[in-house]
Amino acid sequence: MTAPKDAQLLVALQDLEQMIKEAEDASKRAALEKMGFPVTGLEELRKAHEKLEARIPRALVSRYRRLTQRLGRAVVPVVDGVCTGCFTNIPSSFTSAVNQDKVVYCETCGRILFWP
Amino acid sequence: MTIEDLIQHMDPALWVGNLRARNKEEVLQKLTEVLVSAGKVKNGELILEMLQNREALGSTAVGSGVAFPHGRSVAISELTILVARAPKGVDFDSIDGKPTYLFFLLLAPPQDSGNIYLQALGVITGLVQNDQVREKLLAAKDFDSMVAALREAQK
Repeated sequence: MTAPKDAQLLVALQDLEQMIKEAEDASKRAALEKMGFPVTGLEELRKAHEKLEARIPRALVSRYRRLTQRLGRAVVPVVDGVCTGCFTNIPSSFTSAVNQDKVVYCETCGRILFWP
Repeated sequence: MTIEDLIQHMDPALWVGNLRARNKEEVLQKLTEVLVSAGKVKNGELILEMLQNREALGSTAVGSGVAFPHGRSVAISELTILVARAPKGVDFDSIDGKPTYLFFLLLAPPQDSGNIYLQALGVITGLVQNDQVREKLLAAKDFDSMVAALREAQK
């Protein structure tokens, strides 16, 4: 299944935000540095984040932000037909909606669904 | 997490014995293609972008010929470990400035509440700090030899 472009961009945005958040977290950063990984490019990631966000429709970013604020994680994978945000079964008809190039939301928790 | 737990997440389909690449970009591109061919990832572009961003944060080539490209993404559904060997070595922007011959690529989904991903990374990076273990891993010519070298390391 090919994911729609906007959903892909939101996944990339969330992945990048998680990476930045972990690099900003002193204990996680220390753990990475202890393993031998230098954390020097935080500013570069922030710039990449800015560019990426600019590629996503503003209304979608606003909804993503609201979901992130309310639920912690806005985009969640569907694993074995289940939304991993609220563990509700996702109707199989939703799969075809993805093919119709739409961003799909969980009817129960409202999170954005992604089929990995 | 033990070395045996780590091995449980490895797969012969995710072993690349003769990686040929000219630079970091090609390494990441080729390893992502392997993940897609092995059916571990549907959307290679997202994984590639995440890995490139991770390298921008700081090189994952820790020196002594070994690198650990890693990261979390919604585009992967479980902890996945790919191991690749580049007999000719690749410039992977290593902290010691030397070529990289061995790659442990670790991917995990974001909803990894037990932080298994960081534990796995810690176990592998700890292992290769041992010169003897690292030498055996660098010399492993197939998946079974690589796993045998890991098992021997825990004795």
